[in-house]
Amino acid sequence: MKLRTLLAASALALAAVGVAAPVASAEEVVLKLWSRADRSGPLRAGNILAAAEQLNRMLEAAGSDVRVKIDLFENNAKGYDADALDLLKAFAVEKGPDLYVAAHEWIGAFVEAGYAWNLEEHIKNNPEFYSDMIPALWKAVEYKGQRYGIPQDTEVRMFFYNKDMLRKIGKSEEFIEGLPGMVERGEFTIYDLTDLAKEVVDAGVAKYGLVHRPNVGPDFQMVLASFGFDPYDEAKGKLQASRKALNAYFDWLKYSVDAGVIPSNMTSWSWDSVHAAFRTEQTAFLKHHGIWNVPPQMKARGYKSGEEYFQHIGWLHSPPAEKGGRPANLSHPIIYVVAPQSPHRELAAMLIALASQPYLNTRHAITTGHLPIKYSQLGLPEFRSEGWMLIAGAPMLKYTTFMPNHARVGQFNAIIYKGIQAVETGRLDPKSATDFVLDELAGEIGDEVIILD
Amino acid sequence: MSSMALRQRVNAALFLGPACLLLFFFFIAPVVVDVFVAFTDMGRTLRINELTTANFERMFTRDHRLGQTLVITFMYVLGTLAIFNVTFGLILALVTTQVPDRIGGFFRSVWLLPRMSPSVIYALLWAWVIDPNERGLLNQILMHTIGIGPVDLMNDHPLLLIIVANGFIGASMGMIIFTSAIRSIPQHLFYAAAADGAGRLAIVRHITLPAIRWPLSFITVYQTLSLLVSFEYIWLITDGGPFYDTTVYALYVYKRAFENGQYAYGAALALILVVIGIALALLMWRFFDMKRLLQEPRIEVH
Repeated sequence: MKLRTLLAASALALAAVGVAAPVASAEEVVLKLWSRADRSGPLRAGNILAAAEQLNRMLEAAGSDVRVKIDLFENNAKGYDADALDLLKAFAVEKGPDLYVAAHEWIGAFVEAGYAWNLEEHIKNNPEFYSDMIPALWKAVEYKGQRYGIPQDTEVRMFFYNKDMLRKIGKSEEFIEGLPGMVERGEFTIYDLTDLAKEVVDAGVAKYGLVHRPNVGPDFQMVLASFGFDPYDEAKGKLQASRKALNAYFDWLKYSVDAGVIPSNMTSWSWDSVHAAFRTEQTAFLKHHGIWNVPPQMKARGYKSGEEYFQHIGWLHSPPAEKGGRPANLSHPIIYVVAPQSPHRELAAMLIALASQPYLNTRHAITTGHLPIKYSQLGLPEFRSEGWMLIAGAPMLKYTTFMPNHARVGQFNAIIYKGIQAVETGRLDPKSATDFVLDELAGEIGDEVIILD
Repeated sequence: MSSMALRQRVNAALFLGPACLLLFFFFIAPVVVDVFVAFTDMGRTLRINELTTANFERMFTRDHRLGQTLVITFMYVLGTLAIFNVTFGLILALVTTQVPDRIGGFFRSVWLLPRMSPSVIYALLWAWVIDPNERGLLNQILMHTIGIGPVDLMNDHPLLLIIVANGFIGASMGMIIFTSAIRSIPQHLFYAAAADGAGRLAIVRHITLPAIRWPLSFITVYQTLSLLVSFEYIWLITDGGPFYDTTVYALYVYKRAFENGQYAYGAALALILVVIGIALALLMWRFFDMKRLLQEPRIEVH
């Protein structure tokens, strides 16, 4: 398969640049790559550079003078939302790249604006590269039934819980280890979790029951999902918000703040304090965030192995709101996209194919704590030795949800976050916060959001 | 045309030209562009599909945050101006000109430090200082010296926080202008007053303050307008939160336009700021009789 792969890549690349071997003179094909400057994933762009090198070696071996050069632009944006807005502006003034890295939920915005190339043909024509992609991930690059990107990585977001604290309040090992199973079976609800956290806090073992991110981000969606909040009507391609589910979530939030489990000023904490509370100072019993936190947790506490880690820290899905309900977690894939305007779009797509091979993608996955995109990666030696947490996390994808691939989801999240902040700080009660969020959604997003019940 | 008249025109173009160009490109052109964009439907892709008044309709009928934002802006501008930029700047100028020059100079430099530090660093320092749990510097000091706390300024007194954070920077501008104004008051007036037996407070009240009336008016007008449109420190320190508690109008415009990509709506909102700015400037022009200030020097120069 390897040889076929290489030949296919070389042939396509050559065809793409319009050069039939043998060539007379040296030619450099320059591709512009746009990526957000992100410490948590330098190899997202790095792997495209590595793929170009790989391709150049093939071209050299084939006696071709053509070389592919990647002109990398790393945008210093605050987050993926800001980066996507910058990218849209760059395209609007015809300074857009040939290929780019984006957060999956933006695919809709790029397709609608005409800046994302339909990759269905490319994917179908290259089964060598894509046949063992984890199927759930394709959903993340889909817009109106067509695939416009290639998944680059994914992760899983969940609740971390401190097992030592449960031991200190006298919980049995059976209970402590059985907690994830109880959540999965729907026997342990999110209210039970708040009550458990309250027990830990009341016993003086932890100062805070639950800490979460202090800014806008996708994490809250999985907790909302516990209350049956589904942000996307796929058939209509519109965002949606259920009044009942949102109100139920805000009720739980207030219940948790009143119980002293979630600090009321959580949203004015610094990230440093949030991390420290769970990792080092161990003043928090629960934290909801993502799997890439595991390496820093290990480092901060000096754990040497996966076994040692799981003795002290456990993972939970966001528990269902009612007994018998389904738990949820969240996955937030990052994707590669090709610009349809690019004269080298076939070549760009082939470079993405090369960059998505198990070896390169695994380099990214194990150095940054992200889940693999292909099943074959799980068998690689590096994965087996260094990727224990990713192997442990992969089964969680069974209960995963994605953010909607809708152009306005960034705004949607920001408005809900304002509601969360209002409830936690006591500025609005759950009902007023629900009204506020729905009112803002209608005002800001208008026809693109459906308000349910 | 005589050569004299020609020369005068050339000179006028030479001397005023650069300033006029600057004025046109950076002050007038943006307003024109803003007015145009405000009547379009420009969104994230920067494309304009139609000319419309929908932005204004939304602003006046559906934007429920607008009123609250204007109230917060008013309180913020008034608070920062009254406590720091004018009053505290004046106190600093009075005190540092009363003490020996080297000490005065030293304290003035200290108060200039916040203005000299890059805004992001200044904001980061604030974030560390006010961190609501015991890791924050303010809380460490309060808890270990007085034994109270922890306090959470960001959550409990967000408006006070942005007034203080901005005031620490804003005070130095007034301080410098007032200091130089106080310095230019002829010394013999102070000697005469002292010979007549006036105390320090009486000297301030009857000599210094009347002499710096014009700089005081100038600082008030200038700082009002500059506070009205500045939001950099608020954005960095509180991001307009918690909830909308520190979202001043200029920040609100920025967020709508650039964080959500609603450029046309942002332009429409900004237009209101331009109108408010012009109205305030004219009002204060009348109120402080600025015309007289600009006509002749109001401080005796020897």
